[in-house]
Amino acid sequence: MADNVPDFARALREGRCGISRIDLFDTTGFRSHTGGQIKHVSARGYIPREFSVKRMSRADMLSFAAALEALRDAGLYPPPEEAKDEIGVVIGGGAGGLLEAEDFYGRLLTTGRGVKFSTLSSLFCASSADRIASAFHFGGPKATFMTACSGGGTALGYARDLILNGHTSLVLAGGVEPMCRTTFAAFNALKSVAADFCRPFDKNRDGLSLGEAAAVMVLEELQHALARGAKIHGEILGYGITCDSYHMTAPDEQASGAVRSMQAALKDSGLSPDDIDYINAHGTATPVNDPMETKAIKAVFGRRAYTIPVSSTKSMHAHTLGAAGALEGIVSVLALRDGLVPPTINYQEPDPACDLDYVTTGARRATLRAVLSNSFAFGGNNTTVIFGKYSERGAANA
Amino acid sequence: MHENRHRDPARRVVVTGIGMVTPLGVGKEEFAANLFSGKTGIAPVRSFDTTSFSSHLGAEVTDFHPRDFVSVKNLRRMDKTSLFTAAAARLALQDAGLEITPDNRDRVGIVLGTAFGATDVTAQFSGTLLTQGPASVNPILVPNIVMNAPAGHASIELGFRGVNTTVTHFAVSAETAIAYAAAEIRRGTADYLLAGGADILSKFYYESLTKFRALSPQNGEEESCRPFDERRNGTIAGEGSGLVLLESLQSALARGRAPYCEVKGAGMGSSPTPPTAWPAEPSGIKKTLQRALDNASLSAGDIQAIFAVANGDKILDATEARAYEDLFAGTSPAPWITAVKGATGESFSSGGIRACALALAMEKNSLPPSAGLATPLSGLSFVQERKEIDVAMTHAALAGISFGGTYCYLIFGR
Repeated sequence: MADNVPDFARALREGRCGISRIDLFDTTGFRSHTGGQIKHVSARGYIPREFSVKRMSRADMLSFAAALEALRDAGLYPPPEEAKDEIGVVIGGGAGGLLEAEDFYGRLLTTGRGVKFSTLSSLFCASSADRIASAFHFGGPKATFMTACSGGGTALGYARDLILNGHTSLVLAGGVEPMCRTTFAAFNALKSVAADFCRPFDKNRDGLSLGEAAAVMVLEELQHALARGAKIHGEILGYGITCDSYHMTAPDEQASGAVRSMQAALKDSGLSPDDIDYINAHGTATPVNDPMETKAIKAVFGRRAYTIPVSSTKSMHAHTLGAAGALEGIVSVLALRDGLVPPTINYQEPDPACDLDYVTTGARRATLRAVLSNSFAFGGNNTTVIFGKYSERGAANA
Repeated sequence: MHENRHRDPARRVVVTGIGMVTPLGVGKEEFAANLFSGKTGIAPVRSFDTTSFSSHLGAEVTDFHPRDFVSVKNLRRMDKTSLFTAAAARLALQDAGLEITPDNRDRVGIVLGTAFGATDVTAQFSGTLLTQGPASVNPILVPNIVMNAPAGHASIELGFRGVNTTVTHFAVSAETAIAYAAAEIRRGTADYLLAGGADILSKFYYESLTKFRALSPQNGEEESCRPFDERRNGTIAGEGSGLVLLESLQSALARGRAPYCEVKGAGMGSSPTPPTAWPAEPSGIKKTLQRALDNASLSAGDIQAIFAVANGDKILDATEARAYEDLFAGTSPAPWITAVKGATGESFSSGGIRACALALAMEKNSLPPSAGLATPLSGLSFVQERKEIDVAMTHAALAGISFGGTYCYLIFGR
């Protein structure tokens, strides 16, 4: 959709679809040939010459670029010397350097030629946070979460806690997911991918569209931000993590895990369901997720469920797995900032099992105080994060 | 913000159960008997052929019978990392006397650290994909490729539905997981959390470690794991899972459980380090251990023992020793330092197993020997090979250091 936040905000507003034919690898033999691929990724297109890009994976490059943009946007580039030692990096990871490792492994298993084990130095997803912290000489806490499709949201919550618990006052937090053959094959093998475009909440939805992204925010302790005159985009009000304990790849149709995840986030934020003005849904467009999530929203919000706008921006940026919680966190913060609910696109035919207001006719103006964003994952891992419009008097008064 | 300042029992976090699946034994009795008597779990690798590799030893989990811990229904869906995790989880819950019931299941969870995840399953799935094409891959393998599979399987097998997440940050995965879980108990988002690590040996992973020159013998001499020893020449790859069960002191007292120890504080940090390289200078370690002490409202002189990261690597062990020399230079007596990887091997998410060893040491008033350590590289107070040392600890540190320049230290108290 975009390779910077202003363009991304514009694309969300216009309801632009970032899903297209994949040309990163050969999709012959797969059920699907489309996805949210970032076209024209180049190290030097993203990363200034003063930083080494040696052996960086696609995930490393994308996350580095997002981190750099976040630092610039926060007025922290170049990072002030005195702040460097406490700045933390927390990333929700995914396939890491698997795309590059596939080239390596394919050669190892076939011709045995051109095999360099050094390729594997960026195979694991923790590499991205290491690269960022080392390049900028950050000395704060560092961690990588990998919980399939909810890691990005968890990274934001954990980073928030690092700040509240006094471990640091500044964290780069986000998520990154690169496309690769293995992930693509995995979702194709499970028959959970859409043939062409994902259609969240639509009666004819036939699966998700896989995507890739990096999304990074600067989280900062409020007094610290005020003291340096930082521009504040929004506030993380709370988050919740639960587990289905049901099935490794299918959500619990009773929606218990999703319900408890939203309730935990509400409790953590001290908000009531009445305070939430927009729900950024997990909304993968698989046959099972969307009615399950709809049911969960009704269980948490009661009658109000029918009046809160609910949209799945995955219809535009596709399902970015490990990055999803962080990318949709940025979507949520932009919605609060701009007073604009982003739409669910590709929607044509209503499904009686999905009967909420899915914002299907384009972006909508609205006064938003708080936004709830869901991420539900394989393994039964659920994370919900609640973002608020920043106000000196506190979120509920915004 | 110093967590230790909360004297409220509801906000003090204690360890009331430990569970482990290790090369030294499955379950705490066997593990403790072998660890404290100076035995080693290192032996020639049995589960795959190492003939063409430059190393041949490993610390494998043997005599592990998944059926003892996992139901038949779930067994066939689970990979090795998940089986280790589910077994360690069941053992830790049993050790804590905690039964999962419909009333408590939403308040019980797991924060797992895994350094590399299911390298066996990923190699198998990707290998089939790359050589035989998309039509040949086995969908059953898919969930287990993802690093959160062990925590997910454990939740299904044991029936807990609370906080559940997976940290994967190389060699600090388990320490970070324990620090996070302790913070979550303190915050009140869960009543009981399993926390620690799980990793496995697989052929492709083992071969890769040899290519990165991580494994002994780095210098062509005798293959062995000798933490902090002048003769050290690389580590020996290991595997296993170690989990602690954390709950609030208030909860433990209400259940009538005597805790092994208390989580007093945590510190995290980073220092610029090339990818895959161990830190060559000690500032990151010193800074982070100091942060953990500050977080626990303690000073260096309060620490009687350190459960070290040292694994026999030339650089890592020297850097870690230098950091302690600097930090404890003015401290008398200096803390005892024990390094268990000559016994357990290096599983990278070793913090879980070392946390269990620390809990046992607190209980036994004794520190386990450092198998393989006979000629120390410095004058620090090392617990050397063969002989455990009796010492009543009030505080001990669990070290966490990773290649790539990440640190996480935990301070435990009696």
